[in-house]
Amino acid sequence: MRPFRRRGADVVARLDLAEAGIIGLLLDQLEQLLEAAEDDVAGDPVLARLFPDGHRGDPALAADYRELTESALRSGKADDLATVRATLPPEGGDVRLDPEQAAAWLRCTNDLRLALGTRLEITDDTEPPDEVTGEESQQLAVYYWLTSVQGSLVDALAAGRAGRR
Amino acid sequence: MAGPLATPDTTVDEEHDLDRPWVTVVWNDPVNLMTYVTYVLQELFGYDEPTATTLMLQVHHEGRAIVSSGPRERMEHDTSRLHAYGLWASYQRDS
Repeated sequence: MRPFRRRGADVVARLDLAEAGIIGLLLDQLEQLLEAAEDDVAGDPVLARLFPDGHRGDPALAADYRELTESALRSGKADDLATVRATLPPEGGDVRLDPEQAAAWLRCTNDLRLALGTRLEITDDTEPPDEVTGEESQQLAVYYWLTSVQGSLVDALAAGRAGRR
Repeated sequence: MAGPLATPDTTVDEEHDLDRPWVTVVWNDPVNLMTYVTYVLQELFGYDEPTATTLMLQVHHEGRAIVSSGPRERMEHDTSRLHAYGLWASYQRDS
């Protein structure tokens, strides 16, 4: 991967074939999650993290909030996912994003990290794996790789904003 | 423990002041990057970088920070905007 950098108003990164494949696979998994029935939210820690309670301690307010916001939240995440999929080169290559597409990548890569991180039960003390020995360390390696992708995107966008001031 | 509450896009008029005791809280979570949280707070609330960084560090070190305050409907809206970016947020009456 070549990390995200600014090119004028756009940001550009380069992914190799395997990296584009990993993102594509994670998008498919996230899409399935987003299509899950709304009733499943309470029973699935990943869905509960992607669609959190709006109010803590008052179930009636939390239910109101969910009714008011969840479908828009769900469709926003689905739109972001569609944007990432449309701008992801399936065989690897340059990813060039205008500001709107970059915002979709920013939110969607965060959703991918939230889904992976929740499933892996990441804590503040979790460390990247020293070596990849099995399924879990492989997932952890993917999580930290995705963290570096998103980190470079945040830095590129923050630098652009600082430059506008 | 009160966060810096001055927000550039918050207008306080008398009517809003009456139902002011609602706040939006961002909670610490182990996944969201510190740089990302700072970026999102700037993006959504128009905070300058030092203010957003202070709030992010408060979330990180104290477990939570108040990022906006105002009428309940607006706090619901702010919470949903934070949820769209994957931040762990909720709204509540100011205690």
